[in-house]
Amino acid sequence: MLHDLLFRLRTVTRRRAAENELDDELRFHLEQQVDKYVQSGMTEAEAMRRARLEFGGLDQVKDECREARGISFVESMVQDLHYSVRTLLHSPAFTACAVLTLALGIGANTAIFSVVNRVLLNPLPYPNPQELLAARQNDSPPNLRDMQRQTHAFASSGGVNISPMDFTGNGEPVRVHGAYIDAGLLATLGVQPMLGRWISADEDVKGGPRNVVLSYPFWRDFMGADPHVLGRAIRLSDKTYTVIGVMPRNFTLPRELADVFISLWVGYPEAAPDRGVHFMHTYWRLKPGVPLTQAQAEIAQADHRLAEAFPDTERERATVLMPLHELLVGDVRPALLILVGAVGLVLLIACANFAMLLMARAVTRQRELMIRASLGARNGRLIRQRLTESTLLALVGGAAGLLAAKVGTTLLLALRPAELRRLDAIPMDARVFLFVFAISLLTGLLFGLLPAWSASRGDIAEALRENERTTATGVSRSPLRSFLVTAELALALILLAGAGLLIKGFLRLRSVDPGFNPANVITMYLQLPGTRYPQIPLQTNFRRELLARINSFPGVEAAMITDLPLAGNYVGHRVVIDGQPTRAVGSEPEVQTLSVMGNYFGVMQIPIRAGRDFHSMDREQQPLVAIVNETFVRQLLPGQNPIGLRIDWAGNEPHEWMTIIGVAGDVKDSGLNQPVDPGVYAPFSQNDEAWRKWMTLVIRTRLTVAGLVEDVKKQVWSLDSQIPVSGIQSMDDLLALSVAQQRFNMLLLGSFAALAVALAGVGTYGMVAYRVNQRTHEIGVYVALGAQQRDVLRLVMKDGVKLGLLGIVLGLAGAIARTRVMASLLFEVKPTDPATLIGVALLLAAVAMLACYMPARRALSIHPMTALRRE
Amino acid sequence: MPSRSIDLPQGTLDLLILRTLSLEPLHGWAVSERIQQISSDVLRVQQGSLYPALHRLERRGWIKARWGTSENNRKAKFYEITRAGRRQLEIEQDAWQKLTAAVSQILETA
Repeated sequence: MLHDLLFRLRTVTRRRAAENELDDELRFHLEQQVDKYVQSGMTEAEAMRRARLEFGGLDQVKDECREARGISFVESMVQDLHYSVRTLLHSPAFTACAVLTLALGIGANTAIFSVVNRVLLNPLPYPNPQELLAARQNDSPPNLRDMQRQTHAFASSGGVNISPMDFTGNGEPVRVHGAYIDAGLLATLGVQPMLGRWISADEDVKGGPRNVVLSYPFWRDFMGADPHVLGRAIRLSDKTYTVIGVMPRNFTLPRELADVFISLWVGYPEAAPDRGVHFMHTYWRLKPGVPLTQAQAEIAQADHRLAEAFPDTERERATVLMPLHELLVGDVRPALLILVGAVGLVLLIACANFAMLLMARAVTRQRELMIRASLGARNGRLIRQRLTESTLLALVGGAAGLLAAKVGTTLLLALRPAELRRLDAIPMDARVFLFVFAISLLTGLLFGLLPAWSASRGDIAEALRENERTTATGVSRSPLRSFLVTAELALALILLAGAGLLIKGFLRLRSVDPGFNPANVITMYLQLPGTRYPQIPLQTNFRRELLARINSFPGVEAAMITDLPLAGNYVGHRVVIDGQPTRAVGSEPEVQTLSVMGNYFGVMQIPIRAGRDFHSMDREQQPLVAIVNETFVRQLLPGQNPIGLRIDWAGNEPHEWMTIIGVAGDVKDSGLNQPVDPGVYAPFSQNDEAWRKWMTLVIRTRLTVAGLVEDVKKQVWSLDSQIPVSGIQSMDDLLALSVAQQRFNMLLLGSFAALAVALAGVGTYGMVAYRVNQRTHEIGVYVALGAQQRDVLRLVMKDGVKLGLLGIVLGLAGAIARTRVMASLLFEVKPTDPATLIGVALLLAAVAMLACYMPARRALSIHPMTALRRE
Repeated sequence: MPSRSIDLPQGTLDLLILRTLSLEPLHGWAVSERIQQISSDVLRVQQGSLYPALHRLERRGWIKARWGTSENNRKAKFYEITRAGRRQLEIEQDAWQKLTAAVSQILETA
């Protein structure tokens, strides 16, 4: 073995010398032979001729000697590469087709892989991310503190709540995202501030110092990236805070967008001690080596103790911890994985086309191959040469695919749904390049091997025979080609079925009645600073005055509500109904709670199904009233007339009953594909919770939006110059945004399906065209013998149509088997929806027919004489 | 071409080369001549296979090559059997004899 290796090595290193020696050796042999013949009486010339003849192909012998010595591999590869580049440059059309096909397939795959790489594969931007957990449920600050004290599995833990804050004193007031945090949060995430320090545990108490840590963007945009910012005072929601730190540029919270970080106990002391209000996201870092199960068990014990100690609010505790990464990508994963599968199918189809192109090329190059073979090139050597060519093509295709992917990811970013919104860039890192390289290499080798192998045995011989007109029928039935076309069509159908289902589901979703009329409604979000509007009457005055001013604009009707449908905010309260048996504390039904002012139902065109709408006399110092939605009646008051019944918030002792005066139509508050929760609307003016300081204006108008927005802002600032106006969007946009994820899936899968169908159509076309070309002579004879156009068409299209049908049937079976995977992405459409499946099957059949018909038409134009002359 | 010559079966060439070289070092041409002579012209070595075979045997370490001077004073590459080559020769000779014995037994009795 060692000898063998050294020997090979020597021959490689002294290649020149070895080559010369081989020459010398063989020349010596020939000379000896010639001498021998001359001595036996031949003339010199005749002896030479005889000796050469006996010796056979000198080059071939040399080749075999080289191979016997084992030096040929690297050398012949270089040779093959040279040769491939030369021949590919000679047939630019073929090269362009092959490269383009692969570029599309590889490009689409690379784009999706880049997203998967970024979203699913990249670790979280925190040290030791595998130790990070998140609770599925929100929790309250007191509970978090108790749980921190009672558990031992965690190195640290922390919580955060994001609330809008107003940053003033820097020109126009700006709404920023305030993160009310607990001191443990940063230790848990494990990131150090870039400047200054984090809020310490002894500052994270009621009455602690008003300190703030800034995010990098906030520091850059509002502090002018001042390196001496520490110690500066800034105004946030009417309070002054001292800057003590700035976070590094790439730091973000796991799920939340935050501009400034403030201790919850300092910045929001009213809410901090409230055990029953679970509004914090909590994050936990495991001690090294502690398993998740142990942590979960400790949390369950803590839950149990809390539930026993505080049954009023904590009876239903069931905190579930999960790996942070899982929590973040869990929702996107199924969709992304389906996209990966879909785009993989596109690649397979592209590869099949690539293989067929190579096969067609092999046949057109048969003469060259024959010559090389007869010159002594061996089969293995020919196959390798062609593999080199296909791999070279695939690598070029891959490089072009990388470009296509760059364009693709830009498009993806433009389309990205809310779940991927944090994805600000899709970088192409080493992993993506490796992916492209591997996939190209594999494509080139695997799909180059198929036709090279088949050509080296069956196809070429068959093609040669055809040319010699020795076959009786002249029909070239390459089984590999037929298989590829069938497979392409089947795969395309699977994709098409998936896309069809998503489109149908999406149309269903879009046709869901949201319960209101989104057309011509513009919305804006405002929040009153608690310092200047501490009491409800002050808030009510501001709201009433603002609404009055906006409603005085001609052609405008405005109202306000706490939380817009589909905007993602939700305030729930437990409710009790007068006259119904009292339920155990904490188990009363929870309903969505909304405050409104003005003609909200009129502006949103939400129908009042029973009773009456609010009117201007439903205000402070008047009897308390409420309007419930239809789901409220259906679930909580089945079979009763709700009008006149009285309800109140659970735990409100003594009860201040609100009388139900009307029933409003259901509104899809949480999403078009989500069920409606029971809901209660009550007037802002009868609100008794001063912390409801925010409101969303809904304005129905036919005026141009830009001018109106400016006018509204002016009115807001003439009432209070320190209140930022944000969240300006039309109700139509909000609706579209709420289905962005579905739209994204549909568009992506739809374009993959379109690509797949196009590629499969081209593949089918190519096959039929190739066969027509091969059978020109036969068709000519057929026509000369009196065949009608119909007969010719049938002859030519028969195979293609047969394969097409087979592919479609197989594809349908595959679609039915596979689309079960898709159930999670579909809305009110079964994965086996017959109408969709039949529809896409017909569509693909039409494409396949067209692909067969186009070359068949060419067959019709074959003139018998020309065909025969081609001989 | 003389019709009485026989093409060598696969693998036998190696055996014959080793056997020929076991007597004395020879260059390639002499190897082919020697085989032809000894077999009374029955076995004719295709030159196209001789040299690849020599190179293959050299790679395996059964023969080694050195440049020398031929009988008519020309530079020639001489092959020489190695110790490993002799062992291999014994093994192959043994196998060959068993094979031929078995084949002729069948031909005579069956």
